[in-house]
Amino acid sequence: MSRKEELLNLLKDKLRGKFLAGSSLEDKRLFIDIKKEALVETASLLMKEGARYQMGVGYEAKKNGQGLAMVHTFAFDADSLLVAIRALTTEDKPEFDSLTPFIPGAGWSEREYIDLLGLHFKNHPNPKRLVLSDDWPEGIYPLRQDVPYDLMPPSAEEVAFRLDEAPPGSSIIPFGPFHACLHEPAHFAVYVDGEEIKGCEYRGFMVHRGIEKLAATELTYNEIPFVAERICGICGSVHSVNYAQAVEAASGLKIPRRAEFIRTIMLEIERLHSHLMWLGVAGHLIGFDTVFMQAWRIREKIMWLAESLTGNRKTYGMVIVGGVRRDIDLTKADLIKKTLSEVEKDMLALEKAIIKDKAIHRRTKGVGYLSREKAVEWNLVGPVARARGLDMDARRDHRYAAYDEVKFDVVVADSGDVWGTLVVRIKEIYEAIKIIHQCLGKLASELQGSPLAIEIEGPVPAGQQGLSVVEAPRGEAVHYVLTGDDNRPERWRVRAPTYPNLQAVPDMLLNNKLADFPIIVGSIDPCISCTDRVAVIDRKTAADRILSRQELEKLSREVRSKT
Amino acid sequence: MWLWNKIKQLTIPSRTGVVTLRYPYKPRPAPAGFRGQPVWDHTKCIGCAGCASNCPARTIFLRDICQEIRILIYDSSRCTYCGRCADLCPEKAITMSENFELATDNRQDITQTIELFMMTCQRCGRCYDLEIKNALDKLQMLGYRYDSLEVRKVIGQSTPEFEPEHLEKTATYRRPEKLEKSSCGKD
Ligand code: SF4
Ligand code: SF4
Repeated sequence: MSRKEELLNLLKDKLRGKFLAGSSLEDKRLFIDIKKEALVETASLLMKEGARYQMGVGYEAKKNGQGLAMVHTFAFDADSLLVAIRALTTEDKPEFDSLTPFIPGAGWSEREYIDLLGLHFKNHPNPKRLVLSDDWPEGIYPLRQDVPYDLMPPSAEEVAFRLDEAPPGSSIIPFGPFHACLHEPAHFAVYVDGEEIKGCEYRGFMVHRGIEKLAATELTYNEIPFVAERICGICGSVHSVNYAQAVEAASGLKIPRRAEFIRTIMLEIERLHSHLMWLGVAGHLIGFDTVFMQAWRIREKIMWLAESLTGNRKTYGMVIVGGVRRDIDLTKADLIKKTLSEVEKDMLALEKAIIKDKAIHRRTKGVGYLSREKAVEWNLVGPVARARGLDMDARRDHRYAAYDEVKFDVVVADSGDVWGTLVVRIKEIYEAIKIIHQCLGKLASELQGSPLAIEIEGPVPAGQQGLSVVEAPRGEAVHYVLTGDDNRPERWRVRAPTYPNLQAVPDMLLNNKLADFPIIVGSIDPCISCTDRVAVIDRKTAADRILSRQELEKLSREVRSKT
Repeated sequence: MWLWNKIKQLTIPSRTGVVTLRYPYKPRPAPAGFRGQPVWDHTKCIGCAGCASNCPARTIFLRDICQEIRILIYDSSRCTYCGRCADLCPEKAITMSENFELATDNRQDITQTIELFMMTCQRCGRCYDLEIKNALDKLQMLGYRYDSLEVRKVIGQSTPEFEPEHLEKTATYRRPEKLEKSSCGKD
């Protein structure tokens, strides 16, 4: 009996009448419907079986008269299995039991839907506002179907997020919303006692763009990949591939093998540039700018390579539902090989020159330490988890695209600190190069001349669930798609790797020196834009206006003459 | 050890030399297949609105201003250069050019407008009705015909259903003498 059937039988057995249905189009997925009373029981059963919590998805299933739905997804990494449990509640009593008391990583997923759908979670330890801006009016839940996607409630003055009290004996140092050591808007209120960090509260979600709502109301299936790609400025392909995979899984599409290989190549090229970029930023954050300059010099070659392959440095636009748009032919393959050999040579030289430098060791070893147990508890993903001894990688554990045919090592370190993350990410650069070479070999030999995309015949069936994971450079990204009518998904949920990792940052900061704050936050490579993707409209947009050049010049002159 | 590392770090830049380009003094040509600003060939366009209804950024607008004339406006300020329009155009009227230096303080510089002369159907005078939804409307649900070209904003509503008031709003919109900064950016 396969693991999937085992789980299914176990749940049927234990839940009895509370088990409603179990379905799976694919063999690596399991979608289960349960009664809402059984939510906690089911989740704890799954956790006992060794599951890793991924994310929660809330949506309004009004069309079918079902009220509001909450989906929780779990991964069984050892068995390449993803499980989603769904429960429904009525609109007049939108309440679920909270999973957060025993799965701390579910905290944000639930708070998100308190804001966006007006759900209540019984026993949630910290049901504060998470996503919506502070002056968003009470009682308007942007993900509800009757709220238009472009609703702009008037902004209010003098409302502020109420931060928690600092623990006694410590004072608060604010980092953000805009701060020199953060590259995107986010607010950390760091509690310090002298130089030592005693805790921190995070308030983020300041760059919402309402992408998920937009997809559910305005865009169509094949327009979303281009918007998905813009969720993140670093891992665009990750999101477009992930979305496309989720739709393909939901509708049972099988894409050409050549397309899968090309997707794999693009994902690995993205990993190369992301790791090099992070290495540079990490060097910069600890004040070691040689690393920054050299890593970014090497990275530039990758950017130019991507430009010649896809037509743009970053927004590759390669992926559509059903395949890819551009081919990688033999001349392009040669270009890739040439660039990769240069990058590999440069990278080795750089690694040799910096890896024994005491400056790096002193600033990273033992900094941002988190034990393996804590890493499991917070469901950490990606290099941050691998640096803490967790041997997990979605490329190997949940093989997608062409990863079932390439050989590579999953790099794991056990130092549990920033140094471990650094080692893991440097080593992964060489693994990525290995993977691309293998893919190119396959493209040149067996897959010559096969098509790039399939024609999609007929509409995508509505009401199907699709779940997909992709190992982004920063860790596992998860996409959930529920297909809908009108040629667009009814619900599309994106969970970026920073979403779980950021939740663990307060624990990582504990008892470190304030001076190490930038590198600890930087070590998870926080991607605020990815994490914040959901809700609606920035409150400032209502008052937005374009300054003319004259006005700008005037403004800057005034400022200059004043100083 | 420490000194040895520093010496190694010094040799890297001396070996690589200067990598900074003399851009913008020396232009850097885009590689083949680059996706820059899309350019319309008005002699090829048949006004089918395929590009407008598939543009993910909804930045191509079409409207019939009278029986014979259909206007297509491409507003580059919101374009993401994805190249979807060029892919889908049945007449290959759109090319993704190599032009990427598009910064300007006047939106008109990067806007393209085509006025298309449309034939009238000899049998019915007009093949489709404006008010009643027909197959053509369904095909071209968004970014098409009910847009206000001047304000260039997709009509704000969460469903693609057509409301007669919207048509009224855009149909009675008085076109400014000159399309200038004043009419863009705020509304
Ligand atoms: S390139 Fe993309 S965003 Fe720009 S007009 Fe064409 S379809 Fe729209
Ligand atoms: S798709 Fe081509 S032919 Fe049709 S309106 Fe656009 S440019 Fe013209």
